[in-house]
Amino acid sequence: MSHRLPSRTASVVALFVAATAVVLVLPAFVSEFRAQQFAYVGIYLIALVGLNILTGYTGQISLGHGAFMAVGAYTTAILISDQGLRIGGHTFANDLKDVWTIPLAALVAGIAGFLFGVPALRLSGLYLALATFAIAVSAPAVFKKFETFTGGGTGINLFGIKGLTGSISGVHVFGHKLAFYDWLYYLSWTIALVLLAAAWLLLRGRIGRAFRAVRDSESAAASSGVSLATYKTLAFAISAAYAGVAGALYAIANTYVNPDTFPITLSIFLLVGLVVGGLGTLSGLIVGAVLVQFLPLWSQEVSKSPGAPAVVYGVILIAIMLALPGGVAGLLRRVLPLARRLYTRPR
Amino acid sequence: MPVAFAFSELGQQVVSGLASGAVYAALALALVIIYRSTGVINFAQGEMAMFATYIAWTLDVNHGFPFWGAFFATLAISFLGGVVIQRAVIAPIQGASVLTIVIVTIGLILVLNGLATWIWTGEVRAFDSPFPTRTVDIGGVAISLQDVGTLGVVLGFVVALWAFFRFTKLGLALRASALNPEASRLVGVRVGWMLALGWGLAAMLGAVAGMLAAPTVFLDPQMMQAILLYAFAAAVLGGIDSPVGAIVGGLLLGVGLNLIGTYAKLDLWFIHIDLTAAELRLPLALLLILAVLLVRPAGLLGKPEVKRV
Amino acid sequence: MSGKLALTCAALCVALLAGIPGAFARGNADPGITPTSILLGGTAPLSGSASAFSSVARGAEAYFKYVNAKGGVNGRKIDYRYLDDAYNPAQTVQATRQLVESDKVFAIFNSVGTEHNQAIQSYLNQLQVPQLFPASGSTSFGRDFAKYPWTTAGFQPSYQAEGWIYGKYLARTKPGAKIAVIFQNDDYGKDLLAGLKQGIQRSTVKIAAAEPYEVTASDVQSQIAKLKASGADTLMIFATPRFAIQSFVFANKLGWKPLIFDNIVSSASSIMTIASEGGRSRSVEGALSGVFLKDPTDPKWVNDPGVKLYRQILKAYAPGANWKDAYHGYGMAVAYTMVEVLKAAGKNPTRASVMAQTAKLNVVSNPFLLPGIVAKTTATERFPIEQAQLERWEKGKWIQFGALWGYRA
Repeated sequence: MSHRLPSRTASVVALFVAATAVVLVLPAFVSEFRAQQFAYVGIYLIALVGLNILTGYTGQISLGHGAFMAVGAYTTAILISDQGLRIGGHTFANDLKDVWTIPLAALVAGIAGFLFGVPALRLSGLYLALATFAIAVSAPAVFKKFETFTGGGTGINLFGIKGLTGSISGVHVFGHKLAFYDWLYYLSWTIALVLLAAAWLLLRGRIGRAFRAVRDSESAAASSGVSLATYKTLAFAISAAYAGVAGALYAIANTYVNPDTFPITLSIFLLVGLVVGGLGTLSGLIVGAVLVQFLPLWSQEVSKSPGAPAVVYGVILIAIMLALPGGVAGLLRRVLPLARRLYTRPR
Repeated sequence: MPVAFAFSELGQQVVSGLASGAVYAALALALVIIYRSTGVINFAQGEMAMFATYIAWTLDVNHGFPFWGAFFATLAISFLGGVVIQRAVIAPIQGASVLTIVIVTIGLILVLNGLATWIWTGEVRAFDSPFPTRTVDIGGVAISLQDVGTLGVVLGFVVALWAFFRFTKLGLALRASALNPEASRLVGVRVGWMLALGWGLAAMLGAVAGMLAAPTVFLDPQMMQAILLYAFAAAVLGGIDSPVGAIVGGLLLGVGLNLIGTYAKLDLWFIHIDLTAAELRLPLALLLILAVLLVRPAGLLGKPEVKRV
Repeated sequence: MSGKLALTCAALCVALLAGIPGAFARGNADPGITPTSILLGGTAPLSGSASAFSSVARGAEAYFKYVNAKGGVNGRKIDYRYLDDAYNPAQTVQATRQLVESDKVFAIFNSVGTEHNQAIQSYLNQLQVPQLFPASGSTSFGRDFAKYPWTTAGFQPSYQAEGWIYGKYLARTKPGAKIAVIFQNDDYGKDLLAGLKQGIQRSTVKIAAAEPYEVTASDVQSQIAKLKASGADTLMIFATPRFAIQSFVFANKLGWKPLIFDNIVSSASSIMTIASEGGRSRSVEGALSGVFLKDPTDPKWVNDPGVKLYRQILKAYAPGANWKDAYHGYGMAVAYTMVEVLKAAGKNPTRASVMAQTAKLNVVSNPFLLPGIVAKTTATERFPIEQAQLERWEKGKWIQFGALWGYRA
């Protein structure tokens, strides 16, 4: 087995380098508006990598990752806002620059994930799905309730404030001037690639094996000394942290945060993107992120009559699941045998 | 503890809680039937119920059916619909992972909701109740005859279903298929069609829930979404594999939420708790369920899951 | 990055070369406008729980098609493009960016939703793209024109003005009244409530109880029960149609018979008919509301030229649209005003000249507004509609009464 590892690692690294190159060069070939759309693909990719750790690797279904994204988004928004939001005695006024809030957003969301993971230990499968669904449904109402520091229903407007590196005018980075959308694109994809690499490193080690053990058989794992409690909560915390980063970037990209920007449909579409893209595979994650961003838009192209885009979207979902239970990536896998050596499929 | 207490108000909240609880119970029962017979959680149960209610409405308003005619015609149509959906969309992926099935039911939600919006638009419509909207005064409590009727219809259907499962061969075959598909096949039960039958029955129950709720919440494509969440909460509360639990859970939830929404306010020295805010109703329901699950994971009346290693 | 720089230079050169002949033609520096067309963009909830409001966009679209069929405005056809935002402000932001930067619209027009317009307000103002007639009655849009000079107010009495009118009417006609309010827990509901409080200031009318509800609620039964228990004799319904209907029905069910005010958003005759439970409920009888548009389902207007025009336009240019849906009428009224603004901006409108026109509106002939209501703005008074008439629901229809009310801050 060990003699295979170097070549497998090498191909993964090669693919990674190639991907980085593509990402770097892409904006030169597409309009700024497209670059913005691809930036969102990068954001969703981060969320899906996290969700994949929880659902694909550890086997815990989450229908509530939109709520963790919201936690990250609100963390960033509150920290950089200038609306006079208060917690206790402290008033937030442009305390930080947006980019530096991203790790904080990850931390806060990670803690939220951990706090949820502890009681969630007692739930599994269906009940866990329902519980996460419940969180996602109630989250907007909770955000609305605590008006003094979340801005309530009106939300937090970030456009043009000091803490935001850019909202429409160009951004100066390393001596170059970047258009706002290009900067957004590079920001999300840089972070996405870094976090992707981090996830890969994490999962190929002991922790990844423990996660897979929990997914495959909880009783077997427990009897082999894998602490279910530790690894399940760890999976929740890590995946929530990823979602938090995605949320922070989402806030920076939208320049506006309010409870309605994280509806239950976001959580559902994230899971849909993950499964339809192809659970557990890297190519699946990218396809999934593209689907989350573009499928609603494509559905509208077919027809704009009220209700028609939803029908199109639903039919596509059902058709893909019936024809390709392994998701779109499953199809790619069959078509591109080369990919079989390169993806990080959990075994 | 100063608590403003009026018996008539309590009575009113209990009765209306029982009525809304009956609707949750009917939908919860539909969820339980599908779960017990096919092991699938049908997230699209609410949208199926909504679509059925629209069919009843259109039969009544556009095609001149009398109310009960439309009611039973809708039951038949939704039964068929449930069977068709199971055969066409669920059976092919019966063996696939939980996630695949979840995605398919989500797809169903989108299709049904979109179709209803496309055919009938998002406009709010009235739906006739077969029961008079008069209230009867019993001891200072204004009891709505509609609430009583709703409760009665749901309980009637529950009893009919119970009799079906208990006393008919078909019901026995259904129970057997759910319990042990392999053995059932060996004795000649067409397990595949039993699953479809389960979906058909559940769809019928959902239609009943929808038609009973519509006079109160009015008909629009979004009408069942919140009710579905309460139905899930009721099913989980009562035990996802327990039909009786679904009924009990639904009624308890309906009454409990009304009571909390009215009385859960405490203003004592430095303790200020106010849980009566209406926007907390759904989060509270879900929190309650989480709490029950932590203490009794199988729900109030469910059988604890024994995992074979 | 130099590759991108080179590409950009090349693109610029090509654009310059292509643009030179255009510069000599009677063209415009602003995007979205050519000698033969003008491109307007907006967002509307085509999907999701608020999709009923999409009729606002469809009504406007039908009206523009009608105007185009008659030659357009100063020789230009109006191309009105609206995208779905599923009533999610994050999607409003993305869709608006697409309209402004990819489709290069001349202006954003008739986007639906208060928070949705607020989410794009700073962006549009910084880019100096007109944000015309947001489909929202939020007071902030007409009030903050100094900070946001590229945003106009909505084309309806602001929610605050409306609440104020109800309050003032009560103060004058029912001193000592005790009001119970059910309101949607967002800017819309709170604006109405704020206006009401302003209207009853310095009078003997008091608010006995105010209960909020969330849009995601399944029903408002418990709120109505609580409001009844407050002992109020007047009920204000500051709710969207679904919940307004429920409020009437639950009040009736509980045997409560207060004087009821229903807000304009939820007062179309079709909604009132549903709320009256086919005529069986007495709670709608005598209900009051405000009105500024001609309700197409009101029998009073059956032979009115404006309503007839409305029905003709819908039939010809929005096949399948339900003429009884009064939101189409709102869309036509605001589209009519848009056309007047464009006409007034002259042969070569620019974004700046159009904005200037919105600050000096004086349109008296809008066939879709109640007679006597004038769409008027000045440099300091930016709300085009500040008048409404009160009406009472009697035996299945609205009867307007009294003079037009004008809001005075």
